[in-house]
Amino acid sequence: MSDTCTIDDFGPLPLRRPATVADLGETIREAAAAGQAVYPLGGGTMLGRGLPPTKPGVAVTTARLDQILDYPARDMTVTVQAGITLARLGNLLATENQRLPVEVPNASRATLGGAMAVNVSGPRRYGNGTLRDYVIGISVVNDQGHEIKAGGRVVKNVAGYDLCKLYVGSLGTLGIISQVTLKLKPRPEEHALLTLGCGAETVGPLLDLLHRSRTRPVCLELLNAAAARVVGAAAGGGLPEAPWVIVVGFEGNREAVGWQVQQLIREAPAGQGIAVNVLADTSADPLWAALGEFAAWPDARLTFQANLLPSAVAAFCLQGADADGLLVQAHAGSGIVIGHAGGDLTAERAAAMLKGRLATATAARGNLIVTRCPPSWKAALPVWGTPRDDAWLMRRVKDALDPRGLFNPGRFVV
Amino acid sequence: MSPTRLIDRLRAVVGRDALLTSPSDLLVYECDGYTIEKNTPDVVVFPTSTEQVVEVVKACHEAGVPFLPRGAGTSLAGGCLPVGGGVMIALTRMKRILEVNLRDRYAVVEAGVVNEWLSTRLRPDGYHYAPDPSSQKACTIGGNVATNSGGPHTLKYGVTVNHVMGLDFVLPDGRVAQTGGPTEDNPGYDLTGVIVGSEGTFGIATKATVRITRSPEAYRTLLGVFETVDDATSTISDIIGAGIIPGALELLDALILKAVEEAFHFGFPLDAGAVLIMEVDGLEAGLDADAERIAECARRNRAREVRRATSEAERALLWKARKQSFGAIGRLANSYCCQDGVVPRTKLPHILREITRIGEKHAIKIANVFHAGDGNIHPILLFDERDADQVKRVLAASHEILDECLNCGGSVTGEHGIGVEKIDFMPKLFTPEDLAMMLRLRSAFNPENRCSPAKMFPTAGACIEPSKAGRRAAL
Repeated sequence: MSDTCTIDDFGPLPLRRPATVADLGETIREAAAAGQAVYPLGGGTMLGRGLPPTKPGVAVTTARLDQILDYPARDMTVTVQAGITLARLGNLLATENQRLPVEVPNASRATLGGAMAVNVSGPRRYGNGTLRDYVIGISVVNDQGHEIKAGGRVVKNVAGYDLCKLYVGSLGTLGIISQVTLKLKPRPEEHALLTLGCGAETVGPLLDLLHRSRTRPVCLELLNAAAARVVGAAAGGGLPEAPWVIVVGFEGNREAVGWQVQQLIREAPAGQGIAVNVLADTSADPLWAALGEFAAWPDARLTFQANLLPSAVAAFCLQGADADGLLVQAHAGSGIVIGHAGGDLTAERAAAMLKGRLATATAARGNLIVTRCPPSWKAALPVWGTPRDDAWLMRRVKDALDPRGLFNPGRFVV
Repeated sequence: MSPTRLIDRLRAVVGRDALLTSPSDLLVYECDGYTIEKNTPDVVVFPTSTEQVVEVVKACHEAGVPFLPRGAGTSLAGGCLPVGGGVMIALTRMKRILEVNLRDRYAVVEAGVVNEWLSTRLRPDGYHYAPDPSSQKACTIGGNVATNSGGPHTLKYGVTVNHVMGLDFVLPDGRVAQTGGPTEDNPGYDLTGVIVGSEGTFGIATKATVRITRSPEAYRTLLGVFETVDDATSTISDIIGAGIIPGALELLDALILKAVEEAFHFGFPLDAGAVLIMEVDGLEAGLDADAERIAECARRNRAREVRRATSEAERALLWKARKQSFGAIGRLANSYCCQDGVVPRTKLPHILREITRIGEKHAIKIANVFHAGDGNIHPILLFDERDADQVKRVLAASHEILDECLNCGGSVTGEHGIGVEKIDFMPKLFTPEDLAMMLRLRSAFNPENRCSPAKMFPTAGACIEPSKAGRRAAL
């Protein structure tokens, strides 16, 4: 492995790989003393997030801080170092029939710390929540090179400020996550996916219907035909050929899943060209996996993510998606829309494409961020969307916890 | 600014009938549910809008007078104790449910809305607000935000922070921030998440956007009767180990059973060592299977009897008995101190044995009723607050129990907060660097520590001029 790394064409930056928390602290102190910035990374799978660095410095990976520290399975918690990959963590938990029900793409390389910094989530968030709901304890090496902690190792705890929430989604700008305690869930006895193919005019009514359904889906995905083709191919089939595809997921005990599948078939409006297909148990695994991976589709030149009121998802997705050649996936129940553009897109066309969508998203009480694009486009694109009204308070938090602007300068909203 | 001028200014902001200054009126506000320490505020104001809160805060800020928010005052750790006096800002007149959006599953409420009102409003539509602290008939959602309240159903549904999406938040200098909102994953720091549970030390939440949750279609509520507390706690471990996440799992020991039985006549067996209320909820389909597996866990752990609530009325009575068990304690003693500790679930048998031992050592009767599924214990120490020696022994026993929770790898508070009560434990839980980081964070919100001073963190030297000394716990 090389001893340098480039972030958004900035660099090369010397890459440090501390194997102990003490070394990590020392690396930070040295950089600070030399007036340099620190750019944290995990497996480097989401390094393109955010704006380019603005200050010379060192890159620091936590990949060697990957120990499993404590797994009291009967308590359904696990304490690990932040550099552990999601795949290794998942395998460990599977030995006790448990899991962290948050899908992270490229799990064989992506680290837990990196996933937290970016706040990665996937289709199951509708039923299972996101990382903020599972992180119960955290250790972070701060701007002074000290490892500080918050939370603890028990599932319920309100002693001290809940810094866990602050670091999840902070893109490494407040310190480097070194250790994490997670609460876990049992793996469900059974799961199933239903796929519904439909026309554009049916998407909105169908999502409304699913929202009112007696069933309790854990995932509610919407794909346009272009996205469904890619996801379907990755899953080895299983998705219908239709202008729009809705995938509904259920998890639970055998009786509950079985009943929900039948119930949803009963509820789906007859006729109207809606095709329903069921994938039960292991036959659904490849499609679950493909849906979870698609947010990181490697062929995308531009990827954006909008967060909207769930009721606004259908209209947002239908607005010119096919005309713009987008591949659209929505975690429709949670109001998250991911759009990919491939091919010969230019920065100008990308900017034009995003402008209206950003306005729509902002009007729907949400926002839109760019999660992937060529670094040279970033100056022209709304990488972090519309500035929020509370940005001034975020700035105060950043100044309080990283007063010298050591961590990831220039890359985040503050 | 003189005290009189400040009071005049506050009166101009909130109106004549929304301000209390007479000693007899203030007495109500001298403590919350933690009655060991008391101190009256100098003034209590009852603003009715965010704008009024802003004006009150600005007046205090300019006068250099400390202030603190208060909801219903049900906190059990002294979170609303006006240490050193100052201005108390009671949010109870901000009690409107401003918006309910079923399609997008959120509601916007003012801080003084009582927790249960929201669920009552949502129930006809098949929704509810999930965090349900035992005080939910009285406590406010603003107070829940401050303490990150839990409740019996948090094992499955999460605590307050898992259900708060956004806040209108008045900072101690009078500036207002709107954090988060009804959409998920807004770019930037999760300020909402870190404000929840900050116990009023960051500022004052005046509105909250909260998630609303589909109500379960059905319930199965079981009562397991055990000869010993050990058998009951082993059952808990087995249920969770079997991969079942019950909606609730509550343990009541012999002493509390006696009080509850006298109050509610549920028919609890008075000679049992402990009972477990075990509830699974969700869709009707599959619920019997889960209930049967739970019953099997109980029988395997020598349950004398496993009863099932056969009607909604029976279930309601069972929950009434649980939620109002604190009220029933009045039958056992004239004062009580409800502790709040957490241990890893598998350490429950150990900590309960320790509680018995510590109670005997200090000659203090201790009853237990708690959220067993979370490992969140609530030993209730019974005493007579008129007897100074008993007060001392209660404090000593409390501290020993909490120390033992720490020895087990747990925490000194699962849902009540640090308040003033547990400040001394903070240095045991956290290193000086940890605490310094938390204080740096506080400085981003509350740099002069004027809002809720002397809470959560040990203070180096006195930083506020007390206008009233009050009664502080002497240990």
